Amino acid sequence: MEAFKGQLDRARRGEPEALSVLYRQLLPGVFGSIAARVPDRATAEDLTSEVFVKMVEGISRLRASDEAGVAAWILQIARVTVAGYYRQRERQPAFVSLEPRFWEEEAPGANQLIYARNPDLDPAQRVEARDEWEAVVKAINTLTEEQRLVLVGRLILGYDVSTVARMLGKNANAVKALQFRALQSLQRVLGNQRAPEHALPISTSQKEDVP
Amino acid sequence: MKPLPDRLNDRLERRTTRSWQSEEPPDWLLSPVHTPNRDPEVDELVALALRVQSAPPLQVDPDFAGQLEQRILVRNAVLRLEGPVRGRSFPRMLRTYPLLKVALSFCLLLLLLGAWVLVAAAQVTNPGNPLHVVKHWEQQVRVSLATSPESQAELELQFAQDRLKTLVNLAVAAHSQAYRAALAELDQQLYAASRAINALPAGADHDRVESQLATLQADARHTLRGLLPQLALPERLLTTDELGHLGSTVPHLVSAEIVLPAHPNGQAIISIAGEDIQPGVQLLMNNRLRDVRGSLQNGLYVFIASWVGNQHPQSIGILNPDGTAAQTTTITLNNSDEHENGTGNGNHGGNGNGNGKGKP
Repeated sequence: MEAFKGQLDRARRGEPEALSVLYRQLLPGVFGSIAARVPDRATAEDLTSEVFVKMVEGISRLRASDEAGVAAWILQIARVTVAGYYRQRERQPAFVSLEPRFWEEEAPGANQLIYARNPDLDPAQRVEARDEWEAVVKAINTLTEEQRLVLVGRLILGYDVSTVARMLGKNANAVKALQFRALQSLQRVLGNQRAPEHALPISTSQKEDVP
Repeated sequence: MKPLPDRLNDRLERRTTRSWQSEEPPDWLLSPVHTPNRDPEVDELVALALRVQSAPPLQVDPDFAGQLEQRILVRNAVLRLEGPVRGRSFPRMLRTYPLLKVALSFCLLLLLLGAWVLVAAAQVTNPGNPLHVVKHWEQQVRVSLATSPESQAELELQFAQDRLKTLVNLAVAAHSQAYRAALAELDQQLYAASRAINALPAGADHDRVESQLATLQADARHTLRGLLPQLALPERLLTTDELGHLGSTVPHLVSAEIVLPAHPNGQAIISIAGEDIQPGVQLLMNNRLRDVRGSLQNGLYVFIASWVGNQHPQSIGILNPDGTAAQTTTITLNNSDEHENGTGNGNHGGNGNGNGKGKP
């Protein structure tokens, strides 16, 4: 806690090392939260860049002094930035479009990630994996804002329940309930998109293990 | 058995929080979903959590991460170069140093309090008011900060004028003490103005300010004379004295001689030596008006007043028809037979209590 506070103070003073550490710590959560709400990776990266530039410009004014407060602050910037993006495009952010056209356009970048993570996949498996991304992202967009924040905090930023609770201004039980409902909703959505025998798809490499 | 959300959370908490950041899923998650000694419903949700956690669309491209880091560091460097203004901006300093905020708030409070005191003091006219000291001090500061001797002299004149106005407001019996203090201040201020003007080199400025002083003195004479009828005797005596300082013609008593009657309840003869005693003057004895009329005889003003007992007055004075008053404590007491023999008992210089052996 004290270490984080010291690091945050240094970042506030504009020390590059401290800013880098903070950036690396927060990037997965910020990118994940944005990528789950915008139609393509390029947009997600643009908006993520915008969020971190705002972070650098505004960190001296930041009042939060703990990790949860900083995460809540930057995720709020991310949320406002995404909302601004949709306002600019005069579209509603309620449901992210993951139409084939978009993913086909973004396929090269996405496929690179698939290659990087699963170098042994054949083309058919890669297509299957890509379809599964769409499904996961689409499912995430059916969640409420709080449920999404819980999943970002718990699964992407790796915070414990109490930290996420501070981040959201809720108690631990409420966060546990949100976490449970979020995963249940995802399970339901993902299950509906698949055949009954694949009601709960797990990662591509494990599909053979599903009975 | 614990509720499902708690069981799910326990499973997710089994690894340290940061383990979620690892590239590879933990072994316990990669194991088949339906295994003995596991909670199937929770297993499914945990497996889903892993999928979300490792979902490629949510993963950051390392190249992008590196480029963005460079970009924000460049942006930070630019902001630091613009730094002096940004880095040391007042609000930022206040946020960085909370004690500075407290100290500044305290200073601001003091400043406001000081300003309020000065404003309040400026309104104060009564010299008895504690804020009057502040007003006096503020005027002294203004004089000392004046840029030139001419400005100093003009300020002194302005303050003298203020004192004169104050005096008019205090010329009622209820404010007798404040009136006396204000009169003394007027005298001092006129003296200060006169001294400041005398310090000016001869020239147009000197003449101009000196003319202003003369005008103020004439105004003061006129004002003080106008105040005389409303003043009690002690204040009237002081005002007469001030009028004398201002060059006005006022009575001045040198001494008084009282020839006591040979018999009790007889008539005493009071002779007063002095200047500018006007016809029709009234006698004052121990600061009280006696209803007797006098006449000028051989350069002395002589009153004949009934005398009861063996009273020894402490002061003898006169009240001119124009309202000016003067008194003396240099009194000689004589018995009528001694007076006829050319000897008498006197008391000099002020206590008025004769010992019966003094000489005039």
